[in-house]
Amino acid sequence: MASSFKQIEDKLKTEAKKLLKTGQVSVVLAYGKGYDDNHPMPYIAKLPSDADNIVFNEYCTHNLARYLVRYPKGTKIAVAVKAADSRAVIQLIQEEKVKREDLILLGLPAYGMKNSKTGEIIDSQTTCGLYNPVLYDTLLGEEVHGQPVVSPYDVLAQYEAMDKDARFEFWKKEFDKCIRCYACRKACPMCYCDPCFIDQNNPRWGEKSPQSHGNLMYHLTRFHHLAGRCIDCGECSRACPVDIPLYLFHKKVAKECEEMFGQASGMRIDDKPVLVNFRVDDSDKILE
Amino acid sequence: MLKKTTIDKLPDLAAHLMEQGTLLAPVQEAAGFNFQVIADAKQVDLNFHNTVLSPKAAFFPQMEDFVRYQTGKSILEAVPVELNLKPTFLFGVRPCDVKSFTIMDIHFSGTGLVDPYWQKRRQAATIFGYAFDLDQPAQAEEFYKTLGIGAADPDGSDVFMIRKGGDLLLKGVTLKGEKLLTQLSLLTAASADEEKYFEDYIIRGRDFKTRFTFLADKNIAKKLEDIFHDSDFWMKVSGACLSCGVCTFVCPNCYCFDICDETLFSQGIRRRVWDACMFTDFTLEASGHNPRTQVFQKLRQKIKHKYSYHVRKYGVISCVGCGRCTKHCPVNIDIFSIVEEAMKA
Amino acid sequence: MSSNNPYIPMPVEISNITNEVDTNDIKTFRLTFLNKEDEKKFKYLPGQFAELSIYGKGEAPIGIASSPTEKGYVEFTVQRAGTIVPGLVTAALHNMETGGKIGLRGPLGHPWPIEFLEKKNIVIVGGGFAFTTLRSLINYMLHPDNRSRFGRITVIYGARTPGLLLYKDELAAWGKREDIKTIITVDKGDETWTGREGFVPAVCKEVAPSPYNKVAVICGPPIMIKFTLPVFFDLGFYKENILTSLEMRMKCGIGKCGRCNVGYKYVCSDGPVFSLAELEELPRDF
Repeated sequence: MASSFKQIEDKLKTEAKKLLKTGQVSVVLAYGKGYDDNHPMPYIAKLPSDADNIVFNEYCTHNLARYLVRYPKGTKIAVAVKAADSRAVIQLIQEEKVKREDLILLGLPAYGMKNSKTGEIIDSQTTCGLYNPVLYDTLLGEEVHGQPVVSPYDVLAQYEAMDKDARFEFWKKEFDKCIRCYACRKACPMCYCDPCFIDQNNPRWGEKSPQSHGNLMYHLTRFHHLAGRCIDCGECSRACPVDIPLYLFHKKVAKECEEMFGQASGMRIDDKPVLVNFRVDDSDKILE
Repeated sequence: MLKKTTIDKLPDLAAHLMEQGTLLAPVQEAAGFNFQVIADAKQVDLNFHNTVLSPKAAFFPQMEDFVRYQTGKSILEAVPVELNLKPTFLFGVRPCDVKSFTIMDIHFSGTGLVDPYWQKRRQAATIFGYAFDLDQPAQAEEFYKTLGIGAADPDGSDVFMIRKGGDLLLKGVTLKGEKLLTQLSLLTAASADEEKYFEDYIIRGRDFKTRFTFLADKNIAKKLEDIFHDSDFWMKVSGACLSCGVCTFVCPNCYCFDICDETLFSQGIRRRVWDACMFTDFTLEASGHNPRTQVFQKLRQKIKHKYSYHVRKYGVISCVGCGRCTKHCPVNIDIFSIVEEAMKA
Repeated sequence: MSSNNPYIPMPVEISNITNEVDTNDIKTFRLTFLNKEDEKKFKYLPGQFAELSIYGKGEAPIGIASSPTEKGYVEFTVQRAGTIVPGLVTAALHNMETGGKIGLRGPLGHPWPIEFLEKKNIVIVGGGFAFTTLRSLINYMLHPDNRSRFGRITVIYGARTPGLLLYKDELAAWGKREDIKTIITVDKGDETWTGREGFVPAVCKEVAPSPYNKVAVICGPPIMIKFTLPVFFDLGFYKENILTSLEMRMKCGIGKCGRCNVGYKYVCSDGPVFSLAELEELPRDF
């Protein structure tokens, strides 16, 4: 029997308070109240009393792993993680951006998460389709079982039905909407490059103005830079003010990677990032 | 004199305006409504609450080309881009957004050097303001009442429109607007009852409730100045901020821009492009020094610019309470809640 | 759109280039207007700046180094930026030769408050490469038409090494004049250096000008400014009489693009010249 959001919230409060009180961590990354119930916010608790402000409900979709790289190395942080978020943490550990020993992962088993803009269920649609965190120190609720297992790649059916030219046309049309607010990269837990290639001015890889070629340059490069690294949390798509379905490309690349190398991103700490690692038995399909 | 037409005849009205110039009006897009240059009169759709992007782009487009040149050629061969504007009709602008134009006017053409692009685009435009529907509650994000803006304020519009069932009532607010209405032959005269409805509606709009119970005043500016150095406060309220540019790009009052030289092969254009105080390179100096690197410094800049600096400099808050920043923030930061909290700090 | 459009640069030609320092990364460019009307319109005073504009590269705001008393040209001393942020404009400019044509937008910003300086004794304090608009001010005040309007002039100028001192010929010439006192210091001398060694703030303290009827005009790297402002305050200078020039990243130069604010002031259009009294009113955000 899965735990309710309220039960998880209470456990999250208790656990956060305990960790801050005992000084095991100096920061707890969790969720707090937003301007209404449907719009909770990432919340950074630093004092035991802050823990009372923590909330958890079906709209807490934000990937808190995004904030980890902001803190100086060595900061002890507890972070509340749903399934995809835990994968982001694992991926960050693989990429040596954070250390396992500095983190306490508070696992949130959750299904029925909703997009606060549209109210749609996101579970296997725009996110990775897992309900239970892959890695945690404490699981704040019962593991979710008995829910239908849906492949996160099922949503690709329509996209995959398009041929190469149709796909290019599809993306061109989508990217023409882009206003270059960079919410996608800022919401992405794996986008930590400083500076991002698109902000460099010598050489300049893409223009700042929101025009087709620059938009294409920005998004396609970002897509590929996330190949084998994207953990399919879907935050980029939810952050986008003009609703570009970025998750489709990321899912497609993730699917290809998984098929080619037999490894999904952010699933095991001991894995090496798939495109960084060379194995003799690696598939040659990538060269085709 | 009050005029009217029916919503059914909107395409006819649109077609009339299109004959006289460029029509910009709300159109349904995938992510919601936005102002678009209308190519097909049937696209105009007034069944919207408000647009995703503010209408500021009508006068301050995301890209404004200054000069065309060829790389490697002399500066003497560079050609300034001329703005040859047809009369423009900006149709269906909500009162809070209309108010944003008058605030932006102070910055772009009211003080210091005049920005020729803003001024020319502004002069070419006739604004059709459009009252919010008072029978529907305001959206959770909106707070224009707090800033003293009514849901049916005609100020700043050339023509003001109120919907009454299947009818659209139109009144000329400025001479320009009035003249235009007399030329539009498909409009009929409204009745005395409708006149009264129109006037009452404007007054009702002033009491139309949005979020927050207090009225923003100039004390906010002072208070925000006083707590500038309270880093703890700013870090706390900016904890979730991703420092993306959504809030500034959807804002009707954000005017920061970059001037870029963009070249494709040998064709170059110098243009201005929207920029955001949330971006890391916004204040990065050639020496490498950057006064605002941390997220809290950037969000503080944004909030203080709107509610403090702008008040000190121009005497008016640079926000109209449209709520777009809150609505589109990926992490649900609510800018005015921060102001409210600052007042308590 | 070109006439009176503040975003469109005027064409100018590089008529002379002087290599200022032994590291070859600071040069003074003399620019002459290609349109006579532009020259007439370009009325400036010391302390103002302009945008040097190269199509395809961008624009760079640079203080005007010449004095308005010098007719027929404007000079800019430009450091090739780019160790951290690639300075596309300054790099391109440094690669240009005499006869090259670029764009110029300005004059921009407020000058040193000349009328306020009249009848007062002036202490000019400069550090390193930021001496440019001070040079403009000194040459302006020393001009025979203007000299009598100002009291005593003392210049304290420092650089890291002797080779990094700008305007070496002029420094030497000022040193020989009776109507200006010139104190040159370097952080570290070389074997040929016979002058003073020491940091600018320390030298200011040592020279200790009395505050009576004096105005200090200070320009230098942020670290120098930070330590020099309190020296003059401690000497008893009124905060209103301690002037400096701020730097922020700028784009438009005319107070529209929104990036160079310190508090509610835009450095480009409300400054760049501020008194210490004005600075203390502003948040420390620069």
